[in-house]
Amino acid sequence: MMNLEIKGLYKSFEDISLFRNFSINFPEGEITCILGPSGCGKTTLLNIIGNIIRPDSGILNGFDGKVISYIFQDPRLLPWKTVRGNIEFVLNKNLPAEKRKEITGHFIKLVELEGFEDFYPGKLSGGMRQRVAIARAFAYPSDIILMDEPLKGLDIKLKLNLIQTFSQIWQSDRRSVIFVTHDVDESLLLSNEIVVFSRAPVNILTRQKVEMPLTNRSPDSEYLKRLKQILLNNLGT
Amino acid sequence: MLVIWKILAMHFGSDFVLPPPEKTFFTTFKLFTDSHFLAIVGSTLIRSIIGFIFSGILGMGLGIIAGINPLFNAFLRPVLVTIRSTPVIALILLALIWFTPGSVPVFIAMLTMFPFICTNVTDGIRSVDRELVEMAQFYRAGRKRIIREVYIPAIIPFIISGTSSAIGFGWRAIITGEVLSQPEYGIGTLMQNAQTFLNVDAVIAWTIVAVIIGYMFEKVIRWSEHKLIAWRF
Repeated sequence: MMNLEIKGLYKSFEDISLFRNFSINFPEGEITCILGPSGCGKTTLLNIIGNIIRPDSGILNGFDGKVISYIFQDPRLLPWKTVRGNIEFVLNKNLPAEKRKEITGHFIKLVELEGFEDFYPGKLSGGMRQRVAIARAFAYPSDIILMDEPLKGLDIKLKLNLIQTFSQIWQSDRRSVIFVTHDVDESLLLSNEIVVFSRAPVNILTRQKVEMPLTNRSPDSEYLKRLKQILLNNLGT
Repeated sequence: MLVIWKILAMHFGSDFVLPPPEKTFFTTFKLFTDSHFLAIVGSTLIRSIIGFIFSGILGMGLGIIAGINPLFNAFLRPVLVTIRSTPVIALILLALIWFTPGSVPVFIAMLTMFPFICTNVTDGIRSVDRELVEMAQFYRAGRKRIIREVYIPAIIPFIISGTSSAIGFGWRAIITGEVLSQPEYGIGTLMQNAQTFLNVDAVIAWTIVAVIIGYMFEKVIRWSEHKLIAWRF
């Protein structure tokens, strides 16, 4: 498989240099987690990949022509559209209505929101809203999914639930995912590989593969506990 | 209220000061059957609708520009505040000099209503959630769809609340305008005539008609609110 690659990246905001000759690659078809302290430039990197902000200099290989979907910390649903309407919003208007309905229905089913198709976001719980956001990201015909702290602020039960949902959909789809978080446990449960970032300017402190099937991971497993210790040591906490 | 009215009417004992409620209601009822009733109410309604349409166009036009351009907004705000704090009566007196009797109430309606619509549209645009717009851009929704499916639905509640206050003030201002400008047909004209001849029961009867119509406007707005922003309920 081809890699998504960033080489010689420079980016600074005013006096703060976030990236100085920074390079990283992301294997395609995998979930790569970027783990690092708050404010280290993780979100900036996502925005550079998503072509929302320009780097000062640097080369991005393999991203050309790639379509990207996003899962944000807030679900960012349109309050005046129903669950179905919110997912349809990202679909191409040129698709026949039948086809759109089919795609929407498929993903609503995958995130277990059947029966809630005609609900407005205001009537849903926080976890359900984030599931709509997940369905929207997968329904969009993208090559890459970027996730910026999608589980922040949710309680542990909901987190595990969403991770489970996400993993199941991802298994059947295998899109490239870049997942940013500052939470070690989240990174262990929802990634194939974890890249630990330092404070700005960013260095890669370590890169760890998580050799374990994605679904049904338990935070109590010895393997993950050992891995967690390695990550924590690198983060310096 | 009716009891107090009745007691007061009995106390004064004169139809020229305060006619008893039953007489007033009879007069009101007689109004409905008057052959000119529709022409009178219709004229006032048409004036208010024309005034409302003009103020809607002007208010939305300026409101949208001000919502997009902060500089224009900074210029417009004091103008709107001035218009809003000018007594309606002063505007009417000026309008009487400038316009024909029939168009004075329309002008007044427009002037009292458009600032409400304008400020609400501006506030609506400025309150649109940046994060939602960003989301739509990330998903490459395109300019047209972002306007139609993100901006407009977000602004509609503001337009409705602006319309609601605009009509409340505008309706009263139109009748005041008619009282002073005396167009051939109009609720205000008839009120003024009744007052001249000390037909107090007719003054109150026309007031009741005006209140009923104002109430109906309010109902229509509430109804359209439920239709247009169903997601809020």
